[in-house]
Amino acid sequence: MRVSLTIGWLYPDLMSTYGDRGNVICLKKRCLWRDITVGILPINLDTSRKEILNSDLIIGGGAQDRQQTIVIKDLTANKATVLKKMFKRGIPGLFVCGSPQLLGHYYMTGDGTRLKGLSIFDFVTKHFGHNKPRCIGNTVGEMLNSKLETRNSKFKKTIVGFENHGGRTYLGKNVEPFAKVLVGYGNNGEDGFEGAVFQNVIACYYHGPFLAKNPHIADWLISKAMEIKYTKMIELEPLDDTLEWQAHDYILKKLNVRL
Amino acid sequence: MIRLFFVLLIGKIIIFFSRLFNFGNGGTWPGEIALFLYPDILREFIRKVDGEVVLVTGTNGKTTTAKMIKNITVSLSKSRGQNITIVHNESGANLINGLISAFIQKSSFIHNKYDYAVLEVDEAAIRPVLEQIKGLKTKFILVFLNLFRDQLDRYGEVDAIADKWVRAIVNLPKTSILILNADDPQVAFLGKNDLFDTVYFGLNSNIKSYSHLEDAIDSIYCPLCKAKLFYKKIFFSHLGLWFCEKCGNERPITQTNNYISSLLGTYNLYNVQAAAAVGKLLGASQSDIKLTLKEFIPVFGRQEELYVGQKKIKIFLAKNPAGLNAILYTVLEMRPKNILLVLNDRIPDGRDVSWIWDVDFEMIGKNVQIITSGDRAFDMALRLKYALKDNKNETKIIIEKNLERAVQRGLDMTEEKDTLYILPTYSAMLEVRKIVSGKEIL
Repeated sequence: MRVSLTIGWLYPDLMSTYGDRGNVICLKKRCLWRDITVGILPINLDTSRKEILNSDLIIGGGAQDRQQTIVIKDLTANKATVLKKMFKRGIPGLFVCGSPQLLGHYYMTGDGTRLKGLSIFDFVTKHFGHNKPRCIGNTVGEMLNSKLETRNSKFKKTIVGFENHGGRTYLGKNVEPFAKVLVGYGNNGEDGFEGAVFQNVIACYYHGPFLAKNPHIADWLISKAMEIKYTKMIELEPLDDTLEWQAHDYILKKLNVRL
Repeated sequence: MIRLFFVLLIGKIIIFFSRLFNFGNGGTWPGEIALFLYPDILREFIRKVDGEVVLVTGTNGKTTTAKMIKNITVSLSKSRGQNITIVHNESGANLINGLISAFIQKSSFIHNKYDYAVLEVDEAAIRPVLEQIKGLKTKFILVFLNLFRDQLDRYGEVDAIADKWVRAIVNLPKTSILILNADDPQVAFLGKNDLFDTVYFGLNSNIKSYSHLEDAIDSIYCPLCKAKLFYKKIFFSHLGLWFCEKCGNERPITQTNNYISSLLGTYNLYNVQAAAAVGKLLGASQSDIKLTLKEFIPVFGRQEELYVGQKKIKIFLAKNPAGLNAILYTVLEMRPKNILLVLNDRIPDGRDVSWIWDVDFEMIGKNVQIITSGDRAFDMALRLKYALKDNKNETKIIIEKNLERAVQRGLDMTEEKDTLYILPTYSAMLEVRKIVSGKEIL
């Protein structure tokens, strides 16, 4: 059976701050290498709800402050309902860098303005102004949720990447964290958690090309998307991920993480 | 006066010992200590400059452009039969401590007068520098080259830098002159408030251009009304003949646009126009400017050529997506057989290497042998794998973490009389120079 996948990429113009497109490149290539036909659907200000419904997987990156205001206005007015519906149905998603800030109940900016979020996740994000230092650096987490395991790639519980955020996120009762922080700040530098998982949607502060060094998460997203689309498990062909894991393990070693 | 004398003395001693014991060329430490002893010292130094103080800033091209301006100034004074003192931070130390060090190096204890200063200034340091000079009557020429996304961990977002520039220039005396890149919307915007005389430079529309924007670009929104900008022509990244459909804002008319570059690459054409614009303001003739630019020798690490026997090494410092994209276009036109990419993640490089995913490595194609090296050799190789591997082809990328061995391997694969192209980040560039020529900077 020839299978295909459509990746919905939220606002490629407005939300692509620092290598964020790496996640889309990574998913696309990992599909192509397996002969899965793949289409990229850029979701822009003028993309209709009907078009968005064609996506089997949703990806979002970070935005600069100016762009973030435009994005949140458009999301709330035109796209929130359809995205929520899709996520409830199990469509997977990955939101990195600044985009998780848009998905909670609200995001309070440095000057105290409260931007209403989409309430997809039960969390809130606050920016305490420029006097509180940003959370910047290489980071490692240990995944807490066993549902994120994949069978087709060498599975590791660790995730590695780089975080750079001014906002601090606090999880509510109805959401699970994505990982436990081993090195770095995580959601807020206080409670030791990183990101959040709701249904099949992952939000995390790891920014930029998160998936390249975490091929297990990339494949989990692809197989979830296939499972929902074709309503059955489709075994993914294993790929040679030697280089991906070398890059992953290099970060573990650099940050003295031993598991 | 006496205070300045002592600070100078200490500075000079530090430079002497730092050179004696090979700690470097004294680019930053003397300035750092002088700044600690005498916080207003930069202001004092700049006050003593008789002629113009030229400050060059922007994301890419500062070191090359400042050197071009310095050369034009030297040849100008020679043609006038003058013997002049020019303060110039040649080594690229472009924070406040670097500027002060440049002054200390050029100072004598008896006669503390300088004729000109040509200084490159870090794009984030321009605001604190201009705050220091508030109220001085010096003749300033400020060159703004471009604004691209760069080390996010250090500089923050592009919009934040643009905002700092707008706030910085209000400190300048009214007699100052701005030299602005018309093709870069956020740079051109600095001329909008009519506070200063402004000279715009840019490229001619007959230069090779593109019809679509690269994926990872910045400031494609109108700085006036925030609407998305359109382009009649794109020269590279977001630089081109732009216009706003909504508010009518458009790329200003340029006064300097047709000088020829002896260096490769469209990005150097911009540097040349900027340098020529300054040269004209200083009073150099067009023919003098042309000749000086023609004879320009690349600065360290920027298209610098080194020889190992019959083989040539050409180094292209590449530290952000716009720079590396522009350099890749340029290098690929030379039909290279071997390219060594060196990615480090130290403070001067930016600790975050995510930026390599904003570079269009896809353009490399199949016939080039790539070696990756540096702290993040695996990350670079991984980026290349996702750019170049398709279902039919396995692209062979050589990973050699040890830089010395990587350079050797690259040279071994390079045929006699052929060229090995090395594209390193900043700290990697210094290491490459040390390996090949024994010297990091100058």
